[in-house]
Amino acid sequence: MKISPAHIIRLYDRFEFLDKEGSGQLRLEDFAEVKELAMNPIGDRIIGAFFSPGQETVDFPSFVRILAHFRPTDKNRAKDSTQPEPVNSRTSKLKFAFQLYDQDRDGKISRAELLQVLREMLGMQVTEEQLESIADRAIQEADLDRDDAISFEEFRKSLEKVNIEHKMSIRFLR
Amino acid sequence: KLHPTSLNFLGLFSLPERALLLVLVLVFLQGSVLPLGAASSPDVSHQDKTDNHKVEAQGHNYTKKAFPVLSIDYHYIQTPFEISLWVLLASLMKLGFHLIPRLSSIVPESCLLIVVGLLVGGLIKLAGEQVPPVMNTRLFFLCLLPPIILDAGYFLPIRPFMENLGTILMFAVVGTLWNAFFIGGLLYAVCQIQPDNPSSLHQIELLPCLLFGSIISAVDPVAVLAVFEEIHINELLHILVFGESLLNDAVTVVLYHLFEEYSGIGTVSVLDGFLGVISFLVVALGGVLVGAIYGILAAFTSRFTSHTRVIEPLFVFVYSYMAYLSAEMFHLSGIMALIACGAVMRPYVEANISHKSHTTIKYFLKMWSSVSETLIFIFLGVATVDGPHNWNWTFVTVTVILCLVARVIGVVGLTYVINKFRIVKLTTKDQFIVAYGGLRGAIAFSLGFLLDPAHFAMREMFLTAIITVIFFTVFVQGMTIKPLVELLAVKKKQEAKRSINEEIHTQFLDHLLTGIEDICGHYGHHHWKDKLNRFNKKYVKKCLIAGERSKEPQLIAFYHKMEMKQAIELVESGGGVKLPAAMPSTVSMQNIQPKKPPPALPPERALPQLSKGREEEIRKILRSNLQRTRQRLRSYNRHTLVADPYEDGLNDFLIKKQKIIELEKKITEMNNYLTVPSAPPDSPTITRARLASDPQAYSVKPTSDSVPTIQVDLASPQSPDSVNLMDEFRNARQPEQDEDRGLMMKPPSEAKGPKRPEDAEGAKDQQRLMRCLSDPGPSADEDEDEPFLP
Repeated sequence: MKISPAHIIRLYDRFEFLDKEGSGQLRLEDFAEVKELAMNPIGDRIIGAFFSPGQETVDFPSFVRILAHFRPTDKNRAKDSTQPEPVNSRTSKLKFAFQLYDQDRDGKISRAELLQVLREMLGMQVTEEQLESIADRAIQEADLDRDDAISFEEFRKSLEKVNIEHKMSIRFLR
Repeated sequence: KLHPTSLNFLGLFSLPERALLLVLVLVFLQGSVLPLGAASSPDVSHQDKTDNHKVEAQGHNYTKKAFPVLSIDYHYIQTPFEISLWVLLASLMKLGFHLIPRLSSIVPESCLLIVVGLLVGGLIKLAGEQVPPVMNTRLFFLCLLPPIILDAGYFLPIRPFMENLGTILMFAVVGTLWNAFFIGGLLYAVCQIQPDNPSSLHQIELLPCLLFGSIISAVDPVAVLAVFEEIHINELLHILVFGESLLNDAVTVVLYHLFEEYSGIGTVSVLDGFLGVISFLVVALGGVLVGAIYGILAAFTSRFTSHTRVIEPLFVFVYSYMAYLSAEMFHLSGIMALIACGAVMRPYVEANISHKSHTTIKYFLKMWSSVSETLIFIFLGVATVDGPHNWNWTFVTVTVILCLVARVIGVVGLTYVINKFRIVKLTTKDQFIVAYGGLRGAIAFSLGFLLDPAHFAMREMFLTAIITVIFFTVFVQGMTIKPLVELLAVKKKQEAKRSINEEIHTQFLDHLLTGIEDICGHYGHHHWKDKLNRFNKKYVKKCLIAGERSKEPQLIAFYHKMEMKQAIELVESGGGVKLPAAMPSTVSMQNIQPKKPPPALPPERALPQLSKGREEEIRKILRSNLQRTRQRLRSYNRHTLVADPYEDGLNDFLIKKQKIIELEKKITEMNNYLTVPSAPPDSPTITRARLASDPQAYSVKPTSDSVPTIQVDLASPQSPDSVNLMDEFRNARQPEQDEDRGLMMKPPSEAKGPKRPEDAEGAKDQQRLMRCLSDPGPSADEDEDEPFLP
């Protein structure tokens, strides 16, 4: 995982900008300052992802670590099974996304969790019944082991046609 | 005396060979009729006519001719007849190729069509007649090219196009410029170093060479489409080559005009070059702007077409064509205008028009573009035979070699630069395919044809070289690209059936990435896309989409589309009789009996058997209903579509969603849950059910209270597909009468409960569809699965 020094400096500048109090740590309020996040339907989830469970602040290494998930994947990396999966590999990216769905960290996206996501994304524009039917349909499609929830493997499988390396990468962080 | 056995020799041939024979016979027939037409020139006939008239005017003093019982007046119908003959020939050729099984898999269609053109041209020449000047430039640019481009533009996959726009533009603009100057310059050099003996090559100056270079350098969308469609390559490569072929039109237009203008004068100053760059921007952006304006106009018009559904497709076609013509009027890039128009209007028009219009548009576009493409290739063949040719070995071979070399160098060089900016890099295999897919086609030929022979003495040599390059690329590259793709194991197109999961997660990821970009403070791709989407949702959709659908979120629209598709498939697969094993079918029936209290049954949805008497009753009701509806459909106007009240009521329906929910709550209170276990396939119940779901028997005006109507609800507990017929809506529309109307029977799973409004919706959509029947047409259904905006 080699982010160039230039990028690290850029990220640090951004970190400092967000850290209004200059405490060296970011708090929830600092994230909330970012205006566009307020309009983002899943903004709260994203902010939540930065904070490790139980922690109330984010320091710079954690900040970078989360953002490192979005570095473009190095396709030519040799598949070395002894080394841990790099943070920006396809699997890691998918795992990050999965954890955003799976708020209670039980390793599965339950129907209720999926409904919650749909509710956030679609908001007031649809009726509850429509949401439920979409959720049912989604689970029915993806759920291969019939446990009425989507596990990580099923999640990964349903996204196999999507170019995750492209979709979940920000050029800025190369 | 025809002996029966003399005709039996036909039996020796197998079916495809017989078909081929038939086709060949038809070709010969047409080949012989055309010279017949060409033989008598129009002015002679006109002269004859006027002579005849004069004779007749003075006529009655003259000897009375016998009244002509049967006469031939070919000239009256000559032009349309010939046009129709050509179109017919083209279509029959297409038919013929696909009847011969192995041929179409080895040789791409474009090659076969050129060969046919050569044959026809040759036949005509053999017959000693003047080959009709078919490759008329105006005909090509104004009639043959637009349908193909519109088809491409309307169904352009926007998301991959936008994602790779930078790459595509690099290839289109820089690549074409590079090609033009490289080929033109080196050709000039080669011409100059030619020893002075017989060749006239020395006389060719630099500017005509550059002009030639610019004509030959453009990758042709028609040829690319024709070849790439058959090799089913992965989406990225397809959109790269195809996008390049579309966008390089602007460059070609500017270069062509620039060099043509100044070839006479002989020099191009720096100022002219600078003006050329500005002109390029004007041509490109102007074309897009013109297209976008017409697109918005079309979208706006489609908002009001709910009462005149029949002419909806017309608006799409006419506005697009006018966009093309307007752009051409100002010498802007007509192709880019057409693409912009199609791409801009599509999301809004599709939200507004009926499903049938959508199908109509799709089919007409595919049909016209198919015929156009076929005609273009045939005409290329004919024009080749026609000439005029001036074969110069050096010039032609150098041109061909230079084209290849320039393309390879261009692609490799550009990819090296582009890969620095791409997230997903282009591999060597990709580069090879992009380079190899740079086919030239009829546009180059037409541009060459357009050259003024007075200014360009070497026009014929140019034309010969252009044709040779076209033939080379289409035949050699076209035929070998398929095996090469297999050999190199290039990723093929994935049969993209977008699942609802993909859609949900993709949207989720879009939001996620936008959020991350905001946190980083980086205004990247996602940020702007999000802003555009918001703007679109807030202002544009409200303006351009009629009624309630303007507020429909993308995901819901996608979901509806999916449901409709599944419903169509369900109907197509035998009307529900042969349901797939995984879905046990439960047929629920709704029996509406006015003014009779519903018989009480335990609410736990036990599975009682239908009594024989009840079954008989149901059958009687179905029968009488069918008769009634058949009578009602007898009279109709040629110009109205089969009445589709529910289609027009879509918007009303959406508005009345709430009413339905309330309604159903009321109904559930007095509800009677009677379910029938899945009947064996040939039970009379299901047969009647099938008949009842027969689209022909669809009834329009269910206002009569006295006729109890049966709603057959083929549903499965696991999937929300349900083929509801009518009465949910009737109930929705007549809420005051619902108290008496009774029973709604539901399949036993409770998961179905909350789905009812959705069922209603899905059913409603399905009703629309049941009229449209199936859509076994051209592929690319995944285009339609694309969300409205990326």
